Amino acid sequence: MSQSYNRGTVEDFGRWREFTAGMWAWIFHKFTGWVLVGYLFTHIAVLSTSVGVDPASAQAGSDLYTSTLSGLESLLIVRFLEVGLLAVAVFHILNGIRLLMVDLGVGLESQDKSFYASLLLTGAIVIASVPTFLGGKLA
Amino acid sequence: MSTQIEQQETETEADEETEPEVESPGDRRRAQRDERQAQEQAQREVEEETLDDEDTITLKVFRYDPEIEGKQEPRFDDFRVPFHKGMTILDALIYARDHYDSSLTFRHSCRQAVCGSDALFVNGRQRLGCKTQISELEDPIRIEPLPHQEVVKDLVVDMEHFYDQMEAVEPYFDADETPDDKLEEQRQTRENREKVKMSTRCIWCGACMSSCNIAAGDNEYLGPAAINKAYRFAMDNREGEDRKQERLRIIEQEHGVWRCQTQFSCTEVCPKDIPLTEHIQELKREAVKNNLKFW
Amino acid sequence: MAQHYSSFDRGGRRWLFQRLTAVFLIGVLAFHFMLLHFVNHASDITFLGTQARMSQVSYFATMWLFLVTATFHGVNGVYNALVNQGLTGSRKNAVKYMLGIAGLLLVVQGTRVSLAMTTLV
Repeated sequence: MSQSYNRGTVEDFGRWREFTAGMWAWIFHKFTGWVLVGYLFTHIAVLSTSVGVDPASAQAGSDLYTSTLSGLESLLIVRFLEVGLLAVAVFHILNGIRLLMVDLGVGLESQDKSFYASLLLTGAIVIASVPTFLGGKLA
Repeated sequence: MSTQIEQQETETEADEETEPEVESPGDRRRAQRDERQAQEQAQREVEEETLDDEDTITLKVFRYDPEIEGKQEPRFDDFRVPFHKGMTILDALIYARDHYDSSLTFRHSCRQAVCGSDALFVNGRQRLGCKTQISELEDPIRIEPLPHQEVVKDLVVDMEHFYDQMEAVEPYFDADETPDDKLEEQRQTRENREKVKMSTRCIWCGACMSSCNIAAGDNEYLGPAAINKAYRFAMDNREGEDRKQERLRIIEQEHGVWRCQTQFSCTEVCPKDIPLTEHIQELKREAVKNNLKFW
Repeated sequence: MAQHYSSFDRGGRRWLFQRLTAVFLIGVLAFHFMLLHFVNHASDITFLGTQARMSQVSYFATMWLFLVTATFHGVNGVYNALVNQGLTGSRKNAVKYMLGIAGLLLVVQGTRVSLAMTTLV
């Protein structure tokens, strides 16, 4: 038999017309997961550089830890990144709850509706939190 | 289908009627009936004539043939096919093959959604050719072979990998012990039958495996069809306990049930409406419970 | 809790742990966010404030559990995503051990950071 034709994965995704809710949910959950893991390692790394604090400067509020954090928080870009982190975390949590329901066998008939609900809820929570996140001291 | 059109033409020729000279009541009734049928036939033909002029559909079909010069690079061929009410994708493809290009190659057999031969990728989604109505699709209709499988020719894909995964779950019965009396049946309760009923409907068409992104990425993944087959036997009360444990052992390997990410695409595309994801989830729970007992 | 980093063979155990850690993380992550962005403003955080919180045994324990469960959930998630994409054979084993080590290092370093923030030890 002569050679068969392998169309490859990238081409496959291009031809897909009907992306279902379940497929989107899987892709978003994976993407937000990677972001959160990346953040986890970064977070511990940043904290690592800023502890080991001298008690005297801590009392004065001028220690390395406090100045590192307030320094970061004074940058507007960091505030926006925090909102992004909130969005990513909230979606991962809400879709995660949806997946837990699926794993327990609850509500399988409306699994696509629950995906849309978690998207909407994520948006709502993020928008409602923007004032708090962007507020507070800015240098 | 081409044969059906020819039949209609022979029917019209037999329509001429002559009135009998001496009429009995029976003859009169038969004459009336024949007249009525002739009128209905004529009416239908008039409608179909106008339908044929206005209602054609365009098929864009994936072509590939490693042995033919012009088709070694895949391309899409256009076919204009006259539409009639109740036409399926398979009807359209057969018309195209019979009237336009006899080299158009695709699998089909029963044309009633039980053999599983004609699973295709139509307008971006896996569908069974003989079961999908043209009227529910957007023109032009794009027909391609199933994704994530090697194309042999035109719309025919290599199904060997799918069959390998199905065989891997050992899809056959084995009761630990048969009843003492050789002629006695192995009984199954109605509730138990209801439980496995949907999982018995699988026609091995391959649409589910083709729609699963995990099956696409991970070559060793058993796939929804194979796991559903395992479910069909594991959940059947007539199967022996040892066999069930062996079966669970097969599907709880790393590339078994755990690879399922509940994408639900399999459930969406299954032409027999089997709730595949639900069955896979139940087997996951079953495996966890089974293992907890040994801790 | 170091055992679960090595028993990668039975997919069922990791699957269950992923779900169990998920349930715990839903609560703790939401709590962490609320405390550090809504109850306190992130820009108002000082070392003294952090130290006060981390010197309460229950809070310290919760944060440490947060660290361990998040590390498992995340590293296991990454491993699964890679296997789904087709990682097999010896490369898979190599990745498995590297991820395990990375996770272990993260927990160790995170523990050291936590200890630096508390007056309990």
